Amino acid sequence: MRKLFAGVTTAIALSLSIAAGGALAQTFDWKRYDGQSINLLLNNHPWSEAMRAMSAEFTAKTGIKVRMEVFNEEQFRARLTTMLQAKSTDIDVFMSLKFREGATYDKAGWYANLSPLLANPAMTSPEFNFNDFGEGLRNAETVSGKLVGLPINLEGPLFYWRKDLFQKCAVAEPMFLEDLPEAAAKLKACSGLGDATVWAARGIRGAIAYAVSGFIYNSGGDFKTADGKPGMCQANTVKGIEMYSDLLKNYGPPGAANHTFTQVIEMLGQGRLAMTHESSNEFANIMKFPGRDKDIGVKVLPKGKASGISKPIVFGWGVSVSNFSTKKEAAWYFLQWATSAEVETRLVKSGVAPPRASVFNGGEFKAWTAELPIRQSWANSLIEISKTGTAVSYPPTERVIEAREMIGAAVQKAFLGQASAKDALCAIDPELMKLQ
Amino acid sequence: MNSGAPAQSAVSLKWMILPALLFVAVMILYPFAYALWLSMLDYRLGQPERFVGAGNYVALARDPQFWNGLRLTLVLYLSALVLQLILGVALGLLLHRIEVLKGLIRTVMVSPFMLPPVVVGMMAIVVLDPSMGAANYLLKSVGLPSSLFLASTDWVILTIVLIDTWQWTPFVALIVLGGLQSLPIRVYEAAEIDGARGWRRFVYITLPLLGPTILTAAILRSVDLLRFFDIIYITTAGGPGYASSTLNVYAYRKGFEFSEFGYASALMLTLSTIVFGAVLVFAQLRRRLAW
Repeated sequence: MRKLFAGVTTAIALSLSIAAGGALAQTFDWKRYDGQSINLLLNNHPWSEAMRAMSAEFTAKTGIKVRMEVFNEEQFRARLTTMLQAKSTDIDVFMSLKFREGATYDKAGWYANLSPLLANPAMTSPEFNFNDFGEGLRNAETVSGKLVGLPINLEGPLFYWRKDLFQKCAVAEPMFLEDLPEAAAKLKACSGLGDATVWAARGIRGAIAYAVSGFIYNSGGDFKTADGKPGMCQANTVKGIEMYSDLLKNYGPPGAANHTFTQVIEMLGQGRLAMTHESSNEFANIMKFPGRDKDIGVKVLPKGKASGISKPIVFGWGVSVSNFSTKKEAAWYFLQWATSAEVETRLVKSGVAPPRASVFNGGEFKAWTAELPIRQSWANSLIEISKTGTAVSYPPTERVIEAREMIGAAVQKAFLGQASAKDALCAIDPELMKLQ
Repeated sequence: MNSGAPAQSAVSLKWMILPALLFVAVMILYPFAYALWLSMLDYRLGQPERFVGAGNYVALARDPQFWNGLRLTLVLYLSALVLQLILGVALGLLLHRIEVLKGLIRTVMVSPFMLPPVVVGMMAIVVLDPSMGAANYLLKSVGLPSSLFLASTDWVILTIVLIDTWQWTPFVALIVLGGLQSLPIRVYEAAEIDGARGWRRFVYITLPLLGPTILTAAILRSVDLLRFFDIIYITTAGGPGYASSTLNVYAYRKGFEFSEFGYASALMLTLSTIVFGAVLVFAQLRRRLAW
């Protein structure tokens, strides 16, 4: 009888402990992977810089050590490709631009599937709230039905102009896309411009597609035809690109063909540029230069007068876990922490536009933007591009990088005077067709 | 007992050579064979690999970007090599004659090639910037028209040639200086007695005697110039347009930006063949000129 009692008691105790264990297994614990180390490979970006400064807090919270490598974009991509192609376990977390490389990386099997981790209450903090990210951003991080990353920012090119120089030269703020060449001509003729350059924008081959897209869309053009074929030769597409290349050719700085955002932002920050179409991401960098918070205006690229269209580019970088990582769980913890509402709220001050609705609409962000009118303009522009924008800056293809390169080369030919925009663009449609 | 020694020595020798052979096999032959295998595949990221045999090489022969890259590679190679050899010999002769502050002057002269290419590239970007660079400021101050330098499709290769010449001429000069210091004095004494002086002595005695030294410098510079990459990548990334997209830059972009590993391997092997060819030609010439 005693034995039976002992047996029953043991069985009950065991069942209870299993039940308790089960309950424990469902409890999220930030310290579960205490002592592990993860390696991050990041692109040089305000987000990465902020992470460098804040990662110690993640280690304090989780016990997971973070080793970070930050490279300029081309070097970052070269290293990432080499490491992942070699199926290296040395990278656990990496930044990725899904609209650009999502399909290719997914086919190569480089992204870890984060859907099971997100769905597991033991692995995902109850405060995480995935649905707080905008639907577009969530979809952008979902490839072939799998969650392959979490959004870390929201960005797109915006129109920046020097209000004081426009005023000095009696040039009205451009309200339509078609006003830009007119304003540029007036500024060029104005002695009050001093040694400032009228216009600057990305001229380096691989970076042009990003900046020229707004000109194409707002002119009523598109990258594809109605039947889904490459459409760079369409009249309105040519019109938009012609305006972009003419602005660079006639009003741009010498050597624009080697310029990307670094040169453009440096010129704008130093007060040597009257207007540009550059990334919203560079806002914080521009504001570091004295006086720019007062004399610069920022807004979405003006809509086309003839087309009535305003379709800016908008996308977000994401952060993903390598499928070859042996520490996927610890890496997922980092992703959760880095994209949490708490961290994003603080990242705003580093110029990282928050992809979470709760942060964007939160009191802290609103208070920060209300401090300066230009911050408010920047925030309003981001809200607008997130509503009206598109990430499509290439014709239909999975080989996005090559397609964007071809478009960039054609635009370069136009502004370097090697061919007319029409000839250069019509020549690449058959080549783009081969990438479909 | 004694008869066993040579055999034992041969066995020992084999064992001593083995690590070197293994190193060559693992670090040189294997990557080369793997690259050769890759070059016969249609191998792009996200697509299943497909054996295409010589398909990549056929595509390469029809690729205008390849021919553009080959042309630029050869233009850069030949112009930079000729310039560096001429200036290097002249500088070597100058350094050989200098007696005052010899050590200091030689140290200063050789410093450019000790700089990392990244530093040289960044310096070039700053100095040659068409708007703010010191180069245009100097040109304007002496009444010459300004230039786009690295941003000009016409001048970019010449500008890169000049950057490389600035950096590597002192290296050639150092080799020439070493050669000059080892020339036999008795030949010069005989020439002196025969009345050979100045230019004639340089053309008929110094230059022929320096031949093997100059060819050694040419071999070393050929290898570097044909696979020249870093400064182009830093300053122009192959642009503007494709005006500085040499074979190496083109292969890099194909491999690392477009992830076309098979095609990039075919490009790199073609370039390697050109490098080997150039080295063999100079090595043959050097053997003939040995004294």
